Amino acid sequence: MPADFEVGTAALERLSALVDGELDADAVAHACARWRESEAQRASWHAYQLIGDVLRSDDLAGDPARDAHFMSGLRARLAMEPVVLAPQALEAQPADVALSRQVARSAPARRWAWLAPSAVAAGFVAVAGALMVARAPDGGAPSGVPMASAELVNRAPAALADGSAIARQRPQADDIRRPPPEGVDETSGGRAFPQEPQVLVANGALIRDARLDRYLAAHKQFAGTSALGVPSGFLRSVTVSGSDR
Amino acid sequence: MNGPDADAPLVERVKLGDVKAFEMLVVKYQRRIERLIGRMVRDVDLVPDIAQETFIRAYRAIPKFRGESAFYTWLYRIAVNTAKKALMELKRDPLVSESSRASRDDDDETSRVENELTDGETPDAVLASKQIASAVNFAIEALSDDLRQAITLREIEGLSYEEIAELMNCPIGTVRSRIFRAREAIALRLRPLLDTRDGGRW
Repeated sequence: MPADFEVGTAALERLSALVDGELDADAVAHACARWRESEAQRASWHAYQLIGDVLRSDDLAGDPARDAHFMSGLRARLAMEPVVLAPQALEAQPADVALSRQVARSAPARRWAWLAPSAVAAGFVAVAGALMVARAPDGGAPSGVPMASAELVNRAPAALADGSAIARQRPQADDIRRPPPEGVDETSGGRAFPQEPQVLVANGALIRDARLDRYLAAHKQFAGTSALGVPSGFLRSVTVSGSDR
Repeated sequence: MNGPDADAPLVERVKLGDVKAFEMLVVKYQRRIERLIGRMVRDVDLVPDIAQETFIRAYRAIPKFRGESAFYTWLYRIAVNTAKKALMELKRDPLVSESSRASRDDDDETSRVENELTDGETPDAVLASKQIASAVNFAIEALSDDLRQAITLREIEGLSYEEIAELMNCPIGTVRSRIFRAREAIALRLRPLLDTRDGGRW
């Protein structure tokens, strides 16, 4: 989907519905995906929200330059945060790697972090695998959902690149990992995925995704690449212990 | 809480790792959170920092938010806690100025005057905000009855599209369209006032 900077009436009407929480998940994903590309969409969102605030209370009218200034300051701080993921039950989802790459190229840079439960690691860093977001509402392939998995897949090599520490830990994590099913071919676009979930979840948090492992194995050229000094959009390994947060 | 949380679709996206959805929520709640913090913390200059801190803490805690309360209720609590924490730290710091440490009950006239000249309350800012309030109110009055009723029921009464459809005796699609047209009509008057000088700030 080419980035478009104009927002048509239909898109604005959907945005208005989103203000009221009355928009389906696919369309919500679309709107979020265009948030950074479309200044008109951002300005409309701000205007619609401001209208609601002012209708309820005159003293929320505020100075728009101040609002924009606040946002740019916060964005800078948000950019330094590891992206939080709320682990949830997952279903197997075919991932078209070629499509993913194409979609990912047009997607804005994003940062992913691997969350791991501290219970698993007393003395070693537990590494979480990819969280393949599988929320396909009606089985079709809306660009919203592949976009999420695409960015995941695209950033996955960086996980390996981000620290050989991650690679070193893998053998240990392998012990508890479910082996990948037979006969699944990476290049086929993953159509042969079996029904059973391929992700390992412990204590409600994702540990390992067999599909990620296969993807990483197929793209070994990224192993050992240093991620130092690389601009945003790359992964950080995160150690989470119970007392930190 | 009136019906389902209107923030639910965006919160779901945030939980899936979508930072942009979170930014959209920030744009929505920034003013309200700043107002809340401004009531607790005397020094107006500290409000944006505490507000930013609030949103960062909310962002980190999103995995723990389970939708048992409305998102804004949860965010509100985080804001209050963050402001309280900031106030405690101010009290402990001997180098902080008198005015920021003073509680809101303080009657000191001089420090009140000093505070009034800080960022959000310069004459220009106050004027800008009055102009915006005035444009919105004027535009609302100029709407047709259907559009005004639809947006009022939604924004002030907090009814869902379904409830509004029932009340106004029309299809849900019509409700959605009326609310949108009302917003666009008001936004038309607002946009000239909202254009920040260095465009594209959003």
